[in-house]
Amino acid sequence: MYIIMPSGRGGGGSGRGLARGGEGGAIRGRGRGRESGPGRVKSRESESGGIKGGSKVLVTPHRHAGVFVAKSKADALVTKNLVPGEIIYNEKRIFVQNEDRSTVEYRVWNPHRSKLADAITTGVDNIWIKPGVNVLYLGASSGYTVSHISDIVGPEGCVYAVEHSHICGKVLMNMAEKRTNVIPIIEDARHPAKYRMLVGMVDVIFSDVNQPDQSKILGLNASYFLKSGGHFMISIKANSIDSTIAAETVYQMEVEKLQMEELRPTEILHIDSCEEKHACVFGGYRLPRKQKADTAV
Amino acid sequence: MLVLFETSGGFALFKVLDEGKLSNVEDLGDEFSSAESARRGTSSKGLRKFLKNNCGDGETLAVADSNIGNIITEKLDVQCVHNNAVMELLRGVRSQLTELLSGLDDNDLAPMSLELSHILARYKLKITSDKVETMIIQVIGLLDDLDKERNTYAMRVRELYGLHFPELAKIVQDNILYAKAVKLMGNRINAANLDFSEILADEVEAELKEVAVISMGTEVTDLDLIHIRQLCDQILSLAEYRAQLNDYLKSRMNKIAPNLTALVGELVGARLISHCGSLLNLAKLPGSTIQILGAEKALYRARRMNHATPKHGLIYHAPVVSQAAPEHKGKISRSLAAKAALAIRCDAFGDGQDNTMGVETRLKLEARLRNLEGGDLGAFEEEEVYYKDKKKKADDEEEPKTEEPSKKKKTEAELETAKEPVKKSKHEGVTGLLILIFLIPLIYFVYVNQLAC
Repeated sequence: MYIIMPSGRGGGGSGRGLARGGEGGAIRGRGRGRESGPGRVKSRESESGGIKGGSKVLVTPHRHAGVFVAKSKADALVTKNLVPGEIIYNEKRIFVQNEDRSTVEYRVWNPHRSKLADAITTGVDNIWIKPGVNVLYLGASSGYTVSHISDIVGPEGCVYAVEHSHICGKVLMNMAEKRTNVIPIIEDARHPAKYRMLVGMVDVIFSDVNQPDQSKILGLNASYFLKSGGHFMISIKANSIDSTIAAETVYQMEVEKLQMEELRPTEILHIDSCEEKHACVFGGYRLPRKQKADTAV
Repeated sequence: MLVLFETSGGFALFKVLDEGKLSNVEDLGDEFSSAESARRGTSSKGLRKFLKNNCGDGETLAVADSNIGNIITEKLDVQCVHNNAVMELLRGVRSQLTELLSGLDDNDLAPMSLELSHILARYKLKITSDKVETMIIQVIGLLDDLDKERNTYAMRVRELYGLHFPELAKIVQDNILYAKAVKLMGNRINAANLDFSEILADEVEAELKEVAVISMGTEVTDLDLIHIRQLCDQILSLAEYRAQLNDYLKSRMNKIAPNLTALVGELVGARLISHCGSLLNLAKLPGSTIQILGAEKALYRARRMNHATPKHGLIYHAPVVSQAAPEHKGKISRSLAAKAALAIRCDAFGDGQDNTMGVETRLKLEARLRNLEGGDLGAFEEEEVYYKDKKKKADDEEEPKTEEPSKKKKTEAELETAKEPVKKSKHEGVTGLLILIFLIPLIYFVYVNQLAC
């Protein structure tokens, strides 16, 4: 059985208290994920945005491990909430009942707010973020995407969130207090030496800093922290780099800069659906070539 | 070669064997040296001891950050290396950290990192929450309230005591002095015996004593006097508190917005901030808005009725503007507002605590004011003209410059009696120029007449 809870419960403060409808007449779902039968759902309030309360919802796993899709009238991307009962800010949650009557809580991931979600819905091949990996996130801001990544990597993985601004940093810290796999770092990503004692080797670097020298920033951080054979994702806002030339040219320039830093792009995705002139570049770092043998360091 | 590696658990030193293999030399122990110092690139005592004990002579130390390398070289005389090869080395160490360090487990490091990151982040965030400007806004409001209260009480005291000794109100104008005098006197009969010299000037005191004898007021009982005296105490303590609050405001403003304070003064700066609600909001405003902040009523009325808009709002009370002559107030307030906008942004978004920018700008503005008031003679006064990109000249360089213009003037004035150099005073300067202006046509006519004759 799937119920959609509108925001305002748990961590939210909008005071829309709502009794969980339909609990009494629950139909047992056949466990989350794989074979999900249709569930009957009753919810009192409806909300704007993707999913409306009161609709029937199916939660199936996405092609990417750790991500799920909630299908109803409008589909939504969801992740399993690492800290059940807590929401970051006013996002909707979906509750799924298992066979053993335990509920699993999912949080809706809004592509308009998060570039990674946007990339997933646009159809990227591989996001490289899966349960158990270590992620370095540059430009964490208030931690919206960070929270979803932390959901995906789960308790075995780790997210190092780097954010320079103090205002966002405070919000990030509050979020990190609830989630033990998020390590907040309030530093300038341009100087990875300043947080070198906090970060171990990571498998994926995610960069959303929107600075004109962001390729160099990514390269520097990769040389410090990204393991050989690791992957990266960088989101490019064409106007941040150079607003006078065409977006396509900007993306090409960035790709070239990345290649100079040993970051080999494998995918370039235009995520224009939610925001204009944005692209995401996915790729690998020091990927092993077939001819060369890896020198052990 | 040794490699210095920082983790959240402390420092670790590795020894590099040949052929790029690493071997572990020294372990962490519980050497939790401050990670904050590692971040800033200074070396703490623990690190120094650790390194001293373990670095042999003639060893080079590979470090991750050139700053800390420099410091280590200075303090401990150990050669430090930092280059790409070192970075590669560190990468390797980082990947294999748990295997290289015998006592450390994967699970151990994670909570240490977590805790350390929280501590560091909190430390970073706490520093900036010192700059809370809500205190300023409240204090300014409090100052205004205090003034109102003080005024009300002072009026009340005058009324009350005026029943007994009405003439005093006219003699002693100042509120504080009045309160002090009343407190000292009590009943006006005592006036003749008491010494008012600390409170009042001599003539006032004499007048007071005179009038006290022939006063028209009624008698007051002791009980009344007690209450009146208590009211005076209140007034005096309010005045004292206000002075303290002023000092507090000054120190706060200097901390929160040093450049703005240097430019316009504490009170005006604080009023500007409180008008906008926060320093950040103020920083978003353009100079033109800052110029007329506080005069919104006049502004909108003028716009509606197509009159001239006000030239200054809160800025009017800034020292630079209040010193200006009325015809220059508009220009100076515009310049001031533009520079103030820059100063505010410096304070709101900059890191530094110093007010050099504000002080320099203030000097430039005052120079501009002098230039304005000097009028057209500004052209002769090279060193005082307000150049936007003026570079600082050496003093002796300025000398020949000032000699030249005065020489030029002297040649012009040869036909007249000797003129004083323009620099002396603007008044004389203006007169000098006027003389010059009238002189030239005069000379011309004389010359022509001579020719004609």
